[in-house]
Amino acid sequence: MSETSNISVPDWSGGKKVQAGDQFLGLYQPSPETVGFWEGVKRRELLFKWCGECARAYHPRRMICPQCSSTELTWKPASGKGTVYSYSEVHRAPSPEFQKEAPYNVGLIETAEGVHFFCRICAESGARVEVGTPARLDFRVLGSGYLLPVFVIGSEAAK
Amino acid sequence: MANLANSCAIVGIARAVGLKGDKEKKTPLQLVVQACSQLMREMRIGRTKIGALFTGRMPRSYMTLQYSQSLVNELKIAPMFSTEVTSHGGGALGTLQLSVLALNAGLIEYALCITGEASPIWIDMIGGSANWEADLQFEAPYGPTTPALYAQSACRYMHEYGITAEQMARVAVENRKWALHHPYAAMRRKGPITIDDVLKSPMIASPLRLLDCAPWFPGGIASAALITREEVARDICREPVYIAGFGQHNTHEWVGERMGTWGVEPFMDGPSMVRTGARVAAKQAYAMAGVTAKDIDIVETSVPFTYANLLMLEELGFCGEGEGGRFVESGGIDFEDGLPFNTTGGYLSFGQSGQGLYLLKEIVDQMWRHPEGHPVPNVTRGLVHGHGGPLACHSVMILSKEPTC
Repeated sequence: MSETSNISVPDWSGGKKVQAGDQFLGLYQPSPETVGFWEGVKRRELLFKWCGECARAYHPRRMICPQCSSTELTWKPASGKGTVYSYSEVHRAPSPEFQKEAPYNVGLIETAEGVHFFCRICAESGARVEVGTPARLDFRVLGSGYLLPVFVIGSEAAK
Repeated sequence: MANLANSCAIVGIARAVGLKGDKEKKTPLQLVVQACSQLMREMRIGRTKIGALFTGRMPRSYMTLQYSQSLVNELKIAPMFSTEVTSHGGGALGTLQLSVLALNAGLIEYALCITGEASPIWIDMIGGSANWEADLQFEAPYGPTTPALYAQSACRYMHEYGITAEQMARVAVENRKWALHHPYAAMRRKGPITIDDVLKSPMIASPLRLLDCAPWFPGGIASAALITREEVARDICREPVYIAGFGQHNTHEWVGERMGTWGVEPFMDGPSMVRTGARVAAKQAYAMAGVTAKDIDIVETSVPFTYANLLMLEELGFCGEGEGGRFVESGGIDFEDGLPFNTTGGYLSFGQSGQGLYLLKEIVDQMWRHPEGHPVPNVTRGLVHGHGGPLACHSVMILSKEPTC
């Protein structure tokens, strides 16, 4: 699958319909406040919410700064640098689409901004994922069919 | 604060079980109604006496927008309070905690506390479960499973404290021994297991192998408990089980938010993938009851992975921080002569689903000397831990045969 031709990203701006058979019951988690994040992903940019007052980055979807209660949070591009904080290699995947990619790693990347970012951790050229391994930002289309920010480890990532 | 310790007691408890292979498939609603009607009949409590109906969260296998009212409707009761008490699975014990508050305020005479679930009868449980444990927008698109979400804490626990896979496996081995004596435990016919069996079982989501993970209970369970003030309890019940103390603590939602939580207990000094609200809830419960972990004869936890049981032994005060592995390794929870721990077989060998108040019932049954599984002699005080959301929501309750203070 070509990554450039497919720039579909998750769209939660209007929420997801909860149905009981043909009956519409309500909306699951409409998130207009995260539209900016996914627009960034389309441009291959990882954006964190940023409180200028506290010089602190947040992810995902902070509406107010829990530290100073500021509502003036803005989107700021992440440096794309980080290290592996925790990880798990998934052998039994949640669906046939993901099982095709198994085993794969999901985990938390401690980014240079101090955000712990949950994502896929992709290992290049046989690199082993370990706590503390340097990682760099990339964008990949995963089994979900969406373009997503991921972190990559391997010889390139260490640079 | 009002002195809540020992102010209320459990006077009756009932359960209904439906199994996957049963000719007639049972819904959670059917099981709950069966348990409640049996309890009210045995206790001779009329429909007008129930002042509160508190239920754990709406079951996945019986979704309706006003779940507690569906139960009110079937039982034809008309309580002052009717609601779901839900902080993931942590809400189950919250039903009793809110009952104690309403009873102490003198607003109600009896509270009916309920949990019920029968998902494995009705739903293919492989796969979709992660959608209840993961943020659908920011986590699920990466393909995590429930074990992979919990594994993030396992990874840090091993990294920060040197916990080993062998130590984790020991929990599965000891839990299995209890399950072999329990007529309903999912793994009762599978025989005993060894540490080697656990270490050689297929990898699910590293570091968690198949036998590090809870299986689904092959059916559904509903449990119902009747609570009243201690003076009423002594009148109508030969052996009331006192609610000596309780605590609850809820910190965050989704594993990806866990490290974004700080400035609140237990993360005052910064976030952690390891430490949990269970330690806060336990501290509250011990303080209320005026007892310590040394005074506890039996413990039931609700965590579905081996490592998390080691961690809970720490958080609940049965060993020091980082010592869960060594505690279990040196026989701390041995079936033969250790602390009676997960005496139904636990989530790991009894199976997970609708346990909710079933864990509470196990302690009451042991105190009343008619457990469904292996008896624990001379149980005077028990601790039950309810938990939900990957290690996000925690409830603790201390039960006692006699008032503790």
